[in-house]
Amino acid sequence: MVEILDLIFFSLLGVMVGIGMGLLPGMHINNVIPLILSFSMFFPSSYNLVVFIISVAITQIFISYIPSIFLGAPDENTSLSVLPGHRLLLEGNGYEAIKLTIIGGIGSLLISLIIIAVLANTFSYLYEMSRPYVQYLIIAVVIFMVVSEKKLRNILSAILIIFLSGIFGVIVLGSTIVKSENVLFPVLSGMFGLSTIIISINERSKIPEQKKDFELKITKWKLIKSCFLGSIAGIIVGFLPAIGVSQAGTMVQYIGGMGESRSFLVTLAGINLSNEAFSLISLFLVNNPRSGASVAIQKILTQLTLYDVLLLVGVICFVSGIAALLTMFFGRKIPNFLAKLNYKYLSISVISFVLIMIFLLTGIYGLLIVFTSTSIGLLCGFLEIRRSHCMGVLLIPSILFFSGLNGTVLSILGI
Amino acid sequence: MPKKFLGLVCFFTSVIGLVLIYIAAINLQPVEIKISQISSDLIGRSISTRGIITQKRLHSAGHMFLVISNDNSEIQVPIFSSLMNDLKKENITESDFKINETISVTGLVDEYMGQLQILPRKTSDIKLGG
Repeated sequence: MVEILDLIFFSLLGVMVGIGMGLLPGMHINNVIPLILSFSMFFPSSYNLVVFIISVAITQIFISYIPSIFLGAPDENTSLSVLPGHRLLLEGNGYEAIKLTIIGGIGSLLISLIIIAVLANTFSYLYEMSRPYVQYLIIAVVIFMVVSEKKLRNILSAILIIFLSGIFGVIVLGSTIVKSENVLFPVLSGMFGLSTIIISINERSKIPEQKKDFELKITKWKLIKSCFLGSIAGIIVGFLPAIGVSQAGTMVQYIGGMGESRSFLVTLAGINLSNEAFSLISLFLVNNPRSGASVAIQKILTQLTLYDVLLLVGVICFVSGIAALLTMFFGRKIPNFLAKLNYKYLSISVISFVLIMIFLLTGIYGLLIVFTSTSIGLLCGFLEIRRSHCMGVLLIPSILFFSGLNGTVLSILGI
Repeated sequence: MPKKFLGLVCFFTSVIGLVLIYIAAINLQPVEIKISQISSDLIGRSISTRGIITQKRLHSAGHMFLVISNDNSEIQVPIFSSLMNDLKKENITESDFKINETISVTGLVDEYMGQLQILPRKTSDIKLGG
């Protein structure tokens, strides 16, 4: 019998850790899962540990929009690629951007839970049926990502990044220079975390005066449509290996006509949360973990029952509600605090923390991996193309794996 | 500093990093240990071990699941269909994996449903006989 008070306590503890993680730029639940697991002996039961991990993961998703919107905004005149959140910030609508992500997250979560409940019995069948064709779906996504860059120069740059990160992924994931369970930490931290922070240190512009009203400048119809698209895309992302939130966001932007900043933010937040929810529930539906948190949970619980899934869904909803309220609260308070902080020192502290963690968990080879992954991430930034092309690091090895070519390639490389 | 120059620097550091990682990867040899010494501490590490095949089970999807043992200890060795297909190209079929046959396996230590297993990934990871 699991003590309900223990569950609530560890949920709230996870929320607190999730707030800290979400506020630190470049941090992700995947970065700390090995650390959390190493403290597993301090948790009274495995369910408490599971609840804690889910709470950290969900809270971090909500809170992370605060630094991602309020920090590192480029100077609009010098940067070609202003992100939707930064665009609203530069217009003085940063608070509205935060509110949009909360609505997108909660709205899409509820819609996706309904969709998952209705289609629960078909996921296993769809999963098995899609297995022989997964590589073609991933190839289609890669082609779409490249072509969506439109300009020839950017298309060629995207091919270069996917090629470089693809080779990097094949070598790093195929070799055992770093324990396989920790290898993604230096890979993803460098490509998406450290490289973003390094570029934003130099490009930081002053945060303009923000409007204090939270009025949403988006129609109800667009809001519902964006939440719905976020739910569908989030489930698809959770279903397909190696496809990330950013790829889905790009595709939805084009297919669903989500070019407008507000709709895009709602959809992106929706994809993020419904993807995390589906990834956790997929442990039961298809017996396959689809995210860092779900991999950890599968290791802890081994075989999930329907009651475990109900517990997971309950914790996701409970924590989402609390995290949404906290994001609203911190969304008002933190930006003023962030504006007073020395961003350069904050960034250097985060970079140092991540590098120390990488060294402790993966050793000297981990540092070599993060050096390379950060270089690829920076290259992406300097070429002014979407950083999501770096996902070639997972996409190319996945294509090889599902085509049955992984063994052949590793043999050729002699790894 | 111009972005073009910084881009070039990043490109070359990426390539240098890739080359160094590749050199490290091809020179790292898996640890050779006995089945009895394989523990959850080794999850995610590449190891080499040796034993005799005590159980063999075929899956309809083309996978083969072996249990190998040595010194009263045993471990599971799943060989997935893609690797089985690669082995067939080298004229090794499931019938070559006989009960009581000696086998050397190299692969990643992993855990599935609470059980430790070794996951071979390429044909040279499996050596039958001798």
